[in-house]
Amino acid sequence: MDPLTIDTTKIKMTKKQPVTALDKLNDTGLISTVLAAREREGLILFSTIDQVFNWARLSSLWPVTSGLACCAIEMMATAMAHHDVARFGMEIFRASPRQADLMFVAGTVTKRMAPRVKKLYEMMPDPKWVISVGSCANTGGPYHESYSVLKGVDMIIPVDVYIPGCPPRPEAWIYGIIQLREKIKNQGYGAKWGLNK
Amino acid sequence: MNPAEEIKQLFPDSVVSVGHQTNKPLAIIKKEGLLKIAEKVKEMGFDNLSVITGIDYGDRFEVVYNFLSYTKKQNLVLKVVLGHENPEVDSLASVWKVADWLERETYDLVGIKFRGHPNLKRILLPDGWIGHPLRKDYDMSVDQFVTVGEDGEDIVSTDGSNLLRR
Repeated sequence: MDPLTIDTTKIKMTKKQPVTALDKLNDTGLISTVLAAREREGLILFSTIDQVFNWARLSSLWPVTSGLACCAIEMMATAMAHHDVARFGMEIFRASPRQADLMFVAGTVTKRMAPRVKKLYEMMPDPKWVISVGSCANTGGPYHESYSVLKGVDMIIPVDVYIPGCPPRPEAWIYGIIQLREKIKNQGYGAKWGLNK
Repeated sequence: MNPAEEIKQLFPDSVVSVGHQTNKPLAIIKKEGLLKIAEKVKEMGFDNLSVITGIDYGDRFEVVYNFLSYTKKQNLVLKVVLGHENPEVDSLASVWKVADWLERETYDLVGIKFRGHPNLKRILLPDGWIGHPLRKDYDMSVDQFVTVGEDGEDIVSTDGSNLLRR
């Protein structure tokens, strides 16, 4: 067909529906009890406080800036533009534990560092989560039989997610972050009583 | 002539044997002659003392000094053999300033004492640590934990009750 002789009147223009914030919420599946607000002629949605809080918490996890060894290099790679941890609302690595609610234990926890790591954890306000990253922080790793290395950071602080690897690649980090988000999603009495989705 | 043999010619009484250690000239020397040989080695142009190592062989200790000359592009290894009871050797901190920290490290981990060292105390482990961990007879069955005191100082103890999770 000669492109110059196209009859433009025969082309149908389909108008795309604008995506509202409500649609986005519905797509995430987090707020399962979103009722058809458009039919109610207003943005009314029902949910449990738990769900809203959990959604808010998992959507803006702020990690504390602390790296102990080579895993911290992978942490930086995870935070940089290529893997872009900002997609999870956690690009802001806080320089103070008082503003953070997530701690990556990224690297070897030596006996001398252990009280400092514990102190950092204790300085973080509740609610707070810990991801233990790499063989060293999980179990001591290659230094398991060393005199100077703690055999797992869970000896001193509670750990929510363990990421294996030496060091784990950024993909593994992101998988671990997604696991933590799943965990936060199911926190609270709402999930226990079956009120959440 | 290689520098190890040069030393043997200059100090025939103090040098036990010469040889090679991974292509580097090696001289095994008596500990009494270490300081004067070290001064001569410095005169020969070995301006860098790159590492001091302490080795526990169970029946004896060996202290290995690795020298490097930036101007001559040469290596030299000096070795001192010490008895297993109360190992003590002269400090080289007066000849190479870097020996200060290297000897502190060797003292910290292997427990070799350096006579005449300006500040011989632990450099890596906290002060109260029991034993020297790179020795063969180091007790690995006892876990030592570190806690931070009120002034920020490290306190070593075998009971980790205020550190470990209950």
